[in-house]
Amino acid sequence: MTNLLNTTPGIADTRPAAASTKTVAVRARGLVKTYGSGPAAVKALDGADLVIHTGTFTAIMGPSGSGKSTLMHALAGLDVLDAGQVHIGDTDVTGLGERQRTLLRRDRFGFVFQSFNLLPALTAQENITLPLDLAGRRADPDWLARLVDTLGLRDRLGHRPSELSGGQQQRVAVARALVTRPEIVFADEPTGNLDTRHGQVLLSFLRDACDDLGQTIVMVTHDPLAAAHADRVVLLTDGRVIEEITDPTASAIADRMLQLDTDQHPNPHPRAGSGFGSGSGSIQEG
Amino acid sequence: MLRLVLKQTLAHRGRLLLTFAAITLGVTFVVGTLVLTDTSREVFDDQFCDASTEVDIVIRDAVAFDAAMGIEVERDPLNSRLAAHTATLPGVSRAIPVVKGTGLLIADGEAIVPAGPSMLTSWTGVDGFTLRDGHAPEQLDEVVIDAATATAHDITLGDTVRVQADSEADLRVVGLVGFGDADGLPDTTVALTSLATAQRLLRLGDGISQISVIAADGTATSEVADRLRAELGTDVDVAASQDTAAASAAAAKSQLGFITGALLALAGAALVIGAFLIANTFSVLVTQRTRELAVMRAAGATGRQVMTSILGEAAVLGIAGAVAGTGAGLVAATGLRALLDAAGATVPDGPTVLSARTLVVALAVGVVVTLIAAFGAARRAARVSPVMAMREGALGTAGGRGRIRAGVGLTLTAAGVAALSVGGATESMPALGAGTAALVAGLVALAPVVAPAVVHLIGRGLSAVTGRSVPAGLAREAARRAPRRTGATVMALALSLALVVFVSVVGASVRAALQSGFDEAITAELVVESARGEMLGGLEPATREKIEELDEVGTVSPLRFGHWKDSGATRALTALDPATIDDVTHVDMVEGSLTDLSDGRDGVVITERQAVERGRDVGDRLAMTFARTGTVQVPVVGLIDDDDAKALSTDYLVSLASYRDWFTERVDATLLVRPSSGTTLDQAQTALEDALEGMPTVEVRDQASAAEARTASLDGILTLITAVLMLTVLIAMLGITNTLALSIIERTRELGLLRAVGMTRRQLRTMIRTESLLIAVAGLLVGTTVGVATSALFVRAIAQGGDLHLQIPTTGLALVAAAALVVGIVGGLAPARRAARLEVLTAIHEQ
Repeated sequence: MTNLLNTTPGIADTRPAAASTKTVAVRARGLVKTYGSGPAAVKALDGADLVIHTGTFTAIMGPSGSGKSTLMHALAGLDVLDAGQVHIGDTDVTGLGERQRTLLRRDRFGFVFQSFNLLPALTAQENITLPLDLAGRRADPDWLARLVDTLGLRDRLGHRPSELSGGQQQRVAVARALVTRPEIVFADEPTGNLDTRHGQVLLSFLRDACDDLGQTIVMVTHDPLAAAHADRVVLLTDGRVIEEITDPTASAIADRMLQLDTDQHPNPHPRAGSGFGSGSGSIQEG
Repeated sequence: MLRLVLKQTLAHRGRLLLTFAAITLGVTFVVGTLVLTDTSREVFDDQFCDASTEVDIVIRDAVAFDAAMGIEVERDPLNSRLAAHTATLPGVSRAIPVVKGTGLLIADGEAIVPAGPSMLTSWTGVDGFTLRDGHAPEQLDEVVIDAATATAHDITLGDTVRVQADSEADLRVVGLVGFGDADGLPDTTVALTSLATAQRLLRLGDGISQISVIAADGTATSEVADRLRAELGTDVDVAASQDTAAASAAAAKSQLGFITGALLALAGAALVIGAFLIANTFSVLVTQRTRELAVMRAAGATGRQVMTSILGEAAVLGIAGAVAGTGAGLVAATGLRALLDAAGATVPDGPTVLSARTLVVALAVGVVVTLIAAFGAARRAARVSPVMAMREGALGTAGGRGRIRAGVGLTLTAAGVAALSVGGATESMPALGAGTAALVAGLVALAPVVAPAVVHLIGRGLSAVTGRSVPAGLAREAARRAPRRTGATVMALALSLALVVFVSVVGASVRAALQSGFDEAITAELVVESARGEMLGGLEPATREKIEELDEVGTVSPLRFGHWKDSGATRALTALDPATIDDVTHVDMVEGSLTDLSDGRDGVVITERQAVERGRDVGDRLAMTFARTGTVQVPVVGLIDDDDAKALSTDYLVSLASYRDWFTERVDATLLVRPSSGTTLDQAQTALEDALEGMPTVEVRDQASAAEARTASLDGILTLITAVLMLTVLIAMLGITNTLALSIIERTRELGLLRAVGMTRRQLRTMIRTESLLIAVAGLLVGTTVGVATSALFVRAIAQGGDLHLQIPTTGLALVAAAALVVGIVGGLAPARRAARLEVLTAIHEQ
């Protein structure tokens, strides 16, 4: 399946952006995000800057609590910042209201989550077209067919998530992320719940989407093997971008990460599960 | 363990809030009913029992039975010389002649019409009334009234009031009395006069109502009573005064029995519907806490302990609901009284009585209903295995048990439908009752299968109309995905709506039958009746006398009602004037004619149905027991058409002449009037109204409004029941809100995902509201179907082949549909708002 995209050049024809152009897809400057207040306050982002070019595959890495997930959520308009600016293309995301951010997500972004997050009541096909259905638009049948075939989901379309394997579910999630032909795909630990083999298949697919279709991809991961599929690795520590590795290899990343971990080691209580986790459970209490 | 239970209950208090509200509402209803009727009972006890504190023995004319259908029978007067004779007998200290009756008070031309009786009694000084001011009535033109009435109507000593009984007189108020500590009797006006005045007003001649005997010091009441019995013979009834008082109170209270029963039945319905909500809540709580429970099991808790802890939470909730419900019930009693009053069923008001029994019942009802409702969930919780602590996802549903449930449900439903059909065909009420119970139980069991399917179909229909919409589709799916939850919610609403539909359909059918029978059989242009709806009617003889004097009136034909005993059972009969009845009615006779009642011999005309049931024909005899005379063998002289008899109110018709022999009562229930020739209806009506102006409780109605009036009390009761049933609809609505709120908690992550991939808040709100509406419409469909089907069969059974046709009231059904829509819209508001407020990030990472 890894090379399927190469054998379907038709897809590339329908994509406007090419990998070589150096257009800026995301520009983030001075991002600050604090959770909680007073002595319990946790600074998840502390002046992070980042530029992502169109058609690139970027991996965001960092130790637990470094703010990598918060950064991605901020870029994707899922979270509201305390300070700083995020531009998606020409759009200033930080100035947008709740509804506009929702529409931005729906129309210009695609999402892949760690825990596949498919709707159990919908079939695979319905899950894939969900963002389009929500927008009241129809899927481009050619594009949908290519996605489905490329991801090997053709004979699973009528099934519900409970009838699919983990790998299949995550491929449905990827198809859903790509179906709107988004400007950017955000992937949050996409291989976190997959075994190594299925993980590799998925990453190769993302790599191909980037190479062949010029798809901009931003991925948060803690796995050097996964990050090695990216064009560039952005390393975060304490809410700031401290380093970038271009054309990374797994071993180079692993070495650098190990070093960062050792630096962090003096801290006996590394915060488990970065900032976004702090809110979980509050709804349950209601 | 108790601490853990309390902590758990408090921790989930947000989720339990609506459940608590449902229990509280149900208990409120029960407590309100009990407090209301206890209070009224106490009033009756006060009215009758305290009244004879100093009196030991009461002597009255003997009757075959004391009371029928909640009212005491009237007795023939005693000769006043009997009192003098009694006073000379050994063991008797005093024998006081007493006259008792009804006398309306009129002050400044305004009649004082209390909710209860207008008492007129001769002054004795020993019957519990004590002078507050002035002196006892001595002269013929003097009267003493109760202080409460005097205060309420601004009457002072020296004022003149008119007392209207069989005759009327203007009397001077010379004294005010209280009763015990109170200023009077609840809902009652009291007029006390001299014996002679009372006799004159009640046209008793020198007759008296009773002799109140005070036994000599040192003699036992029972001994004196025995001696009096031996001395005075069987023509009189000698009884200890406390026994007669208790009997009177019991008669009055038996009327309350019906109201208590009806209100408690409605309270029961509210509790059953509340139980659905409770069951739902606990079921969801257990599902959501699967992991937590599994951890408890892994930590060494036994299944029994887990079950106990869940039931413990239910008990805590039940107790809390019972306590709150008891408090609210005290307030609700007042509201229920107002509702009953508006419905024309006045119950006496007095100091609020909260008995220990009420408290016990409230607590028992609150706890037991909650425990039963939570039992299924608790049992499921006990089956959570420790290994689920390590597993992702919620508890799977057991397919096998679902099939058993469906099987049981289908069997019960089929049995219910069969019993209903048999009951409808054979007109057997027990079969209908059992059938309804089985049908409801079956539907409850089937709910998880049927309700989601219905919801899905309605959703499909909706999509077909409005076009495909993702939020609506998702709402449909969500309802289908939690079949048990959706089923219980739909059924709660369906049952409450079915009750409203049932009452509405049966009411409309009975109403139509009552009116149509009246329209066809009664040809009199004018009908004179009491506006107060007394059971035997309330037209004093003076009313007829006044009307008969009028030139504008051609024919006046009275109808009277009486009770008789038919081997234990109490029945009603109608007395009519055979000479004039054909002028004012047109009835079909199967055999004989109404004028056959007139040839000076006693006789009874019975309905064809009674003739068949009793195997009696014209010429046979019917044993009828009357209070005044005992059992009489009455020949059957005619058979009347069943439906036409309904216009005359009973199945047994006798002549007025016979009635005078058999009954002491002299009040007319209805006067059927034809204008004299050459007088228009309007002229006659005006003349009647003018003549009866001084009688505020008498109403003159034309034929059409008389037909309407016959259903007025029915309408009142139907309105009351419907109003109260709306409470169950309200509980069902709480159920929808509760279910959706709980399901939102369960679906938090899913909702977060939807928001992440671009569902707007508006779309999310639409989705939740649509789900609410789908549940409501499903409840409406199921409820209306069940309600119409059962009421149709019931109507057929009540009709018993008679002229009762099924009437589907459009206004009633429109009301039900409107209620369901309101429930669907309002029920989803809060959960929808709440869902829309979910933070995307928080929701998406919710475990």
